[in-house]
Amino acid sequence: MILRPAPILAETAVSAAGVYAASPQLLQLSLAVSVLLFVIGLVGFLTRRNMIMMFLCTELMMQAAALAFVTFSRMHMNTSGQVFVIFILTVAAAEAALALGLVVLLYRKKETLSIEAWSELKEC
Amino acid sequence: MLNMLALAAASSAPNAALPAVHSAAGDAHAGAEGAANALSGWISGAIAAPELSWAGWILGLPALAAIVCWVCAALRVKNKLPAIVTVAALGGAFGLTLALYFSYTGHYHSPVTVHLYDWMRFGWTAEGGSGAAFGSAEAFIADFGLYIDGLTLFWMLFVTGLGTLIALYASEYMESDVGGDYCRFFGSVSIFLLSMGCLVMGGNLALLYLGWEGVGVASYLLIGYYYGKPTAVAAAKKAFVMNRIGDLGLLVGIFLVWRHFGSIDFATIFKAVSQPVAADAHWSMGLIPFFLMLGAFGKSAQIPLFTWLPDAMEGPTPVSALIHAATMVTAGVYLIARMYPFFLLHPDALHTVAWIGGMTAFVAATIGLLQYDMKRVFAYSTVSQLGFMFLGLGVGTTFGAGYHVFTHAFFKALLFLASGAVMHGFAGQLDIRKISGLRNVPGFKIVSWTMFVGCLWLAAFPFSAGFFSKDEILYVAMTDPVHGSPVLAWIGLFTAFLTAYYTFRVWFRVCAGPVAFQPGEESHGHFHPHPPRVAINGVLAVLAIGAVLAGVPAYIAFFGGENWAEHMIGMSSAAQGVPSLGTSAAEHAGSAAHPTILGFDGHIAMFALSTIAGLAGLSLAWYFHLANRKAADSLKQSLLANPLVGWLPRALENKWYVDEIYDALFRKPMWAIGYVFAFVDKHLVDGTLVLGSGRLTAGLGRVFQPLYNGVLQGYAVTMAGGLGLILAWIVWAWMGGGGT
Amino acid sequence: MPLSAITPYALHIAAAIGALGLYLLIRPGNPRVRTAGTLLGVAGAALFVAAAIRGLNRAFDGSAAGSLPVVPAVMGLIAIAGAARMVTHPKPVFAALYFILVVVSTAGMFLALQAEFMAFALIIVYAGAILITYMFVLMLAQQSPTESVGDVEGGTNYDRVPREPIAAIAVGFLLLATLGDSLFSTQSELRHTARPATVTDAAERTWRELEAMPRRLDATVSKLRAGAVPIPFADGRLIHVAKDGSAMVHVQVADGGVVSFLDLPLSDDQAPTNTQSVGLALVSSFPASLELASVILLMAMFGAVVLARKQIELGDDERREAAGMRRISMDDPDPPSSSGFTSGGSTSSAATVGGTAPGAGGGRS
Repeated sequence: MILRPAPILAETAVSAAGVYAASPQLLQLSLAVSVLLFVIGLVGFLTRRNMIMMFLCTELMMQAAALAFVTFSRMHMNTSGQVFVIFILTVAAAEAALALGLVVLLYRKKETLSIEAWSELKEC
Repeated sequence: MLNMLALAAASSAPNAALPAVHSAAGDAHAGAEGAANALSGWISGAIAAPELSWAGWILGLPALAAIVCWVCAALRVKNKLPAIVTVAALGGAFGLTLALYFSYTGHYHSPVTVHLYDWMRFGWTAEGGSGAAFGSAEAFIADFGLYIDGLTLFWMLFVTGLGTLIALYASEYMESDVGGDYCRFFGSVSIFLLSMGCLVMGGNLALLYLGWEGVGVASYLLIGYYYGKPTAVAAAKKAFVMNRIGDLGLLVGIFLVWRHFGSIDFATIFKAVSQPVAADAHWSMGLIPFFLMLGAFGKSAQIPLFTWLPDAMEGPTPVSALIHAATMVTAGVYLIARMYPFFLLHPDALHTVAWIGGMTAFVAATIGLLQYDMKRVFAYSTVSQLGFMFLGLGVGTTFGAGYHVFTHAFFKALLFLASGAVMHGFAGQLDIRKISGLRNVPGFKIVSWTMFVGCLWLAAFPFSAGFFSKDEILYVAMTDPVHGSPVLAWIGLFTAFLTAYYTFRVWFRVCAGPVAFQPGEESHGHFHPHPPRVAINGVLAVLAIGAVLAGVPAYIAFFGGENWAEHMIGMSSAAQGVPSLGTSAAEHAGSAAHPTILGFDGHIAMFALSTIAGLAGLSLAWYFHLANRKAADSLKQSLLANPLVGWLPRALENKWYVDEIYDALFRKPMWAIGYVFAFVDKHLVDGTLVLGSGRLTAGLGRVFQPLYNGVLQGYAVTMAGGLGLILAWIVWAWMGGGGT
Repeated sequence: MPLSAITPYALHIAAAIGALGLYLLIRPGNPRVRTAGTLLGVAGAALFVAAAIRGLNRAFDGSAAGSLPVVPAVMGLIAIAGAARMVTHPKPVFAALYFILVVVSTAGMFLALQAEFMAFALIIVYAGAILITYMFVLMLAQQSPTESVGDVEGGTNYDRVPREPIAAIAVGFLLLATLGDSLFSTQSELRHTARPATVTDAAERTWRELEAMPRRLDATVSKLRAGAVPIPFADGRLIHVAKDGSAMVHVQVADGGVVSFLDLPLSDDQAPTNTQSVGLALVSSFPASLELASVILLMAMFGAVVLARKQIELGDDERREAAGMRRISMDDPDPPSSSGFTSGGSTSSAATVGGTAPGAGGGRS
């Protein structure tokens, strides 16, 4: 798993239209933004107590992942990354539908959206 | 008294200078070579005799009886079946012993080993050799086998014979307990006889030790037979614990024997010990006899381990007769006699034995003077007579000691059984102040007159068997130049005087005089004496006849033949203690001089001295306890009033406060140590270690318990945190990541 | 301390500043705290991005250095700010709205990355469908919040007060530091080895895609030169890509009976669009995944329908009837509708209707 160091090649050129390659700064920026979004989403997931808000933060994390995928797709000029983003969207949609349905049912049981109402897995 | 001692001291010096050859046996004038050959043959040349393996049934029959009796105990059989089985088995064992005796004597001229089963074999050389070189041990082999020689047969004859008789006696005596207890009694008696057989007939020290412990166990079971009585339970524990103290000595002795001689098999070690001792032998070899004698002192109730024997009278009377008079307590004597060649390894060993024996005899006799319980008197008398036996061993006459064991077995058992008959008939009354004139009570004639025979024998009345055996011991003590000690001999004579006195004190008080009796504690309502029936009377009669017959070998020797007992003991490893064959004979063979006592011929002088001592005691007893009983009371009052000697009667009555001394010296400190250990155990071990580790675990659990509060995000934090830590380790530690 | 000593840890310091800022924002507090938190957060994010890019510049040793593209940077910052506000806002509806802002800015970044299809797909699906659903549910499942009092924002308790903020932020930013290091570090073996595609590779891939779309190629060539038909090169390929990225196609022109062969250069405009390449990839390389994705959506629909059913409990007899077995009890085979039916769950007005009682019990609800 040792990653060999390799400098970014100087022949990476910036074309005017940017069709063929992307500027390295843009790629770094995208990755940085992706990482920051992911972490913010994680923090939100861990701190929010509203069930729906938790799912929303999960969606944010998936957003960050999608951004990373597209960045790498552009980096390697390979459309597989973007195809995978389509699938991420698909799964996010499916999961959102089912999750919201479940949340509604849970809300009906306890009349509250707080996740701390559902702590029956605890030990004592 | 003091004059006699001075005279002895003066006369022992010239005696020591004269060579002494004991000529009681007719053929002792055989040459030194013959004596030496016979001696060496008996201790170094054992042959195997598989054709005698049926002798194993002497052990097997009591074992079977024990199993049957304990099964009956478990099934709570309510008839006399256990007694029948036990008596039959023991009778069979006696018959086999007789058969063994007749097939052995005259046909074999050396000890015989019979191998029964392989038992313990530990070897750590390639071949697991047996009996390795002198002083180096390569294997430990103890097989279940027999070692048969004269001493063995001598002992087994009276052990099995008396065992049978007393079991028969007990079948009637214990009949009120028929049920689970009856079975338990006979089961324990069978165990006892099995163990005694192992002890006496065992072919190696391990079997001897097995038997030793076994008789201790049986004694515990039987003393504590009335387990509802706290005093009986305490007495059983006391006996067992005191025996254990002695057993430790025996065990160390056995270890030392193995260490020095490479084996514990009798055939091997006797051969090894008959070689001259190497000059560079380790000093611990000389300690072997001391450790062995410690074991003998424990089992045979010598100073300092004698206080268990009087307390052991809490058991039923047949138990006292069999175990604590005739057989178990003689195991110590047997041990020393068997291991006699080892007692010559250290010059002071035999002297120690003699002195301990002599002092015990004296002290126990003094205590017996003022006891009122009949069985207690006889118990102290047993201790005293055992002291005589040890004295005999110590001064060099295993023959005297062994013969005294033989005769003592008969008359002491007789005395105990007679006391038992009295107790049986008078509802537990044993106080000699409360029974009188028994010989005129209808139905107790046989009891009284057999008791008379026993008392005569115990007091060493002239021409009784007890007289001859005690006389032999005192003679050798007085005259033997190598091991003898005239001081001890005079002490022994004085003790004989005391013995005669207290013995007849009992008889004159109980069996003579006007008829008067009070019943004991076990009576209910209107009381009639309950005379004994056939089984008891028959056994008493048989024992009395046996006691008389036990003197026959001495008569044969008196008139020029060979004493049978001497002959038997001479055919064994104790042969060095037989004066006609022993070292003194080997050293001074050929000399015709006889030892003298006080200027007279040794034998006749001793005869006279013993007679004087015995008759003096007897007449004193007659005076104080039959003719003029009031004089005894007034004498006691005047003694108690006199401040100079007033302490003496009180001390004697309280057994010289030995029990109290032991309590303060040993029991109280042990209690204190026990409390300390209990505290440590409860608070340190239990509290801190055990409970503490439990609480520690629980506490640790409580530390981590809030992690499991059931809320999803708590778990998510933990998961993400774990993931973060793993990544951090990978990135920063493993891959050496840094910043930009 | 000289600056050079700290700069290796610029990423970590930026992360720490950002963490502090987010923490200050996440607790319900007075406006001064919130202002401080905002400033710190912005500073942290900016520093983080700068550190990431600076590392890149250092690796370049100054050559081929470029400037940071401004518009994507602004959009990135808007995305981060929106995300932070979404995470800290006490009212869920507002949080959802901020999420829409995040989605839109992310779509903008997709545009900058020349993934136009993805950008608009994101907006249509995410912002248009998923988030609207979230809004619906939020409005349905609201509890009565406490009113805003002065500076303290209102909201239900479980919305206002966060849960273990310290632990969560610590964990989060630990992850940020490690991920940042693994992505942007220049001092270890962790730098990403994946080289961005060179111009040659990029051009090659792009024109290969056009080659894989024969009709499109024909249309393009016809537009360039009427009546032209592409002809394979000597090496069998239809489009030749030069090292500098330019491409040309070999065509045959039939002009009134005269056949001539030309090499037509292709310009960047004729390259397939993002939509076309994504479509091509979907159909040619990932057909199975496409089918699976549709199955997933179908299952989701089924799941939603099942979840939304009203729970009806049947009595024993009705169950047996439904199963086609004989009735046991001697009761009236047509009991009145009020007995034996209980609706499980809630009594509140649910948006979903559809108790489907099968069999003979049809019509009761």
